[in-house]
Amino acid sequence: MKTITIDPITRLEGHGKISIFLNDEGDVENAYLQIPELRGFERFSQGRRAEDMPQITSRICGVCPVAHHFAATKALDAAFHVDPPSAAKKLRELMYAGYFIYDHILHFYYLGGPDFVVGPDAPPAKRNIIGVIEKAGVEIGKEVIKHRAYGQKITAILGGKATHPVCGLPGGVSKSLSKEEVKDIETMAKSCVEFAKFSLKLFDDIVLKNKTYVDLILSDPYQLATYNMGMVDKNNKINFYDGTVRVTDQKGKEIVRFNPEEYTKHIVEHVEEWSYIKFPYLKKIGWKGFIDGKDSGIYRVGPLGRLNASEGMATPLADKEYKKMFETLGGKAVNSTLAFHWARLIELLYATERSMELIQDPEITSDKIRNPVGEPGEGVGIVEAARGTLIHHYKLDKKGLIEKANLIVATTNNAGAINMSVRNAAKGVIKKGNVSNGILNMVEMAFRAYDPCFACATHTLPGGMPLEVNIYDHKKSLYKTFKRM
Amino acid sequence: MKTIVLGIGNPILRDDGAGIHVAHQLKHYITDQKVTIDEAYTGGMNLLDMMIGYDKAILIDTVNIADAKNGEVKRLTLQNSSATCHSCNPHDVSLQEALRLAEKLGEKNIPKEIIVIGIVVKEIPIQFGEQLSKNIQAAVPKAVEMTLLELKKIQRRRKKELT
Repeated sequence: MKTITIDPITRLEGHGKISIFLNDEGDVENAYLQIPELRGFERFSQGRRAEDMPQITSRICGVCPVAHHFAATKALDAAFHVDPPSAAKKLRELMYAGYFIYDHILHFYYLGGPDFVVGPDAPPAKRNIIGVIEKAGVEIGKEVIKHRAYGQKITAILGGKATHPVCGLPGGVSKSLSKEEVKDIETMAKSCVEFAKFSLKLFDDIVLKNKTYVDLILSDPYQLATYNMGMVDKNNKINFYDGTVRVTDQKGKEIVRFNPEEYTKHIVEHVEEWSYIKFPYLKKIGWKGFIDGKDSGIYRVGPLGRLNASEGMATPLADKEYKKMFETLGGKAVNSTLAFHWARLIELLYATERSMELIQDPEITSDKIRNPVGEPGEGVGIVEAARGTLIHHYKLDKKGLIEKANLIVATTNNAGAINMSVRNAAKGVIKKGNVSNGILNMVEMAFRAYDPCFACATHTLPGGMPLEVNIYDHKKSLYKTFKRM
Repeated sequence: MKTIVLGIGNPILRDDGAGIHVAHQLKHYITDQKVTIDEAYTGGMNLLDMMIGYDKAILIDTVNIADAKNGEVKRLTLQNSSATCHSCNPHDVSLQEALRLAEKLGEKNIPKEIIVIGIVVKEIPIQFGEQLSKNIQAAVPKAVEMTLLELKKIQRRRKKELT
């Protein structure tokens, strides 16, 4: 048995693990991605005051605190039978746009982009944000940092704190905006619109004008024809903060549409013994295993899932880009996993345009930001986290304490699809037992596109997102191991 | 000379939140106006953002060192250890990468010295909860003491510079 270890890691718990099984010829028979899942949230929540949930759940994950905060707040609106005033909804949505701005910038420039800007087979030491800056220039690096910080500042002004907001209350928000704050946000939002336009241009220049990359995006190992899910407004345009959940098929046709409180009628979770994480699927279609196509109930969420599940963007510039993407990649639905990156940038543009609309809305400075709550009951809140549909469901007792809590997070919604994407990529790029770091990165690219969020929150030093790839031969004995921090 | 002391961890993930517990305790002891104490439920870029503008940073976090025992407390420097301070998820860069990036872009306000007070946690918790395990609970006062010692060293140096 030959073991190759790259970047020694000292910690083996809490990591992502990919197991790849080869057949007699050394080609890939199957591949699995195992993700650890944090457990015991329901028990942890029981007996807690419902109004503490937006703060508590924002601690679940160091990546999506704002998404958890508002999924929780919206679940409480429903559980306390209260509809927030229009100004409060706008303030929440504006803050949410700030979160999308910084989150999508971080992913494109720091995590997903290096594969394209520096190159998919560049050495790992170069394939990062530093490599991007070496190639694109220090000035662009400064713009990236500046606009990511703007997204965070917008969130912080509205939420009290950038990373762990405290503003969401059942029935509204705790803080209104001053005229001065409006001015600050408007200046930042305006600059963000320009930066988002620039980012799409960069994508166009570096990726779309390079035939090798376009071929890579359209190549077989990166295709997956699942159903798609995302939240839309009444015109079927994407909305991150509020609306109806829409599911479309492989041709873009609507097959299911539901309100948050109906989610259990449409989503079921499948259990596999080799995985801690459950695999949600569409009840209407059923579980047929890890296969795609119209007979399999697996669906995708996140930027590409949302663009596929909608009929456009609600802002003019982003809508133009939306049309361009579908025209370029052959119409609906786009099944190229690597198109997640493009979709993410279109969403970035939408978030910036939407933040401009909201900040210029005269109602945004209104003092009417909270409505009185009713009796405690049961409620579901759904938002679109940057990486996909996020569901919070609480049942409260008569005193307003948590009796039951259920969460379905974005990466869980994508779990089935991510697994298949990893398997397909492995099958496509590993031939005759030939595995190198460059080839392995081609496999990693398949799951990186989803911007997944594993075992939320643990960050113990020495940290990093440890990943272990084990490759087994046809006798199922370990053939090679790759580890990285 | 401005110093920031950051307790890092997830307060609802048992032993993972040890750094936060230490930060809570430290608030009772630290009165120096030049020392800021805060809690960070985050890593990577966000963590760096919290340190910008300070001359020195002391990070209190859980660590896993191969030849150390559960509950031991170690003083490490970020520069000379392979520790990367980082949210454990693929959606962030490590603190070291964030630092390199900031340097590359000409950021002048990065702390000149970053010290890690590391509480050794051998088992990464995967169950939610606010309590620390017995061994890690016992490590908290030790980490508090070591952090205070670091601060004393800084104070002494500051005095020396003034005289």
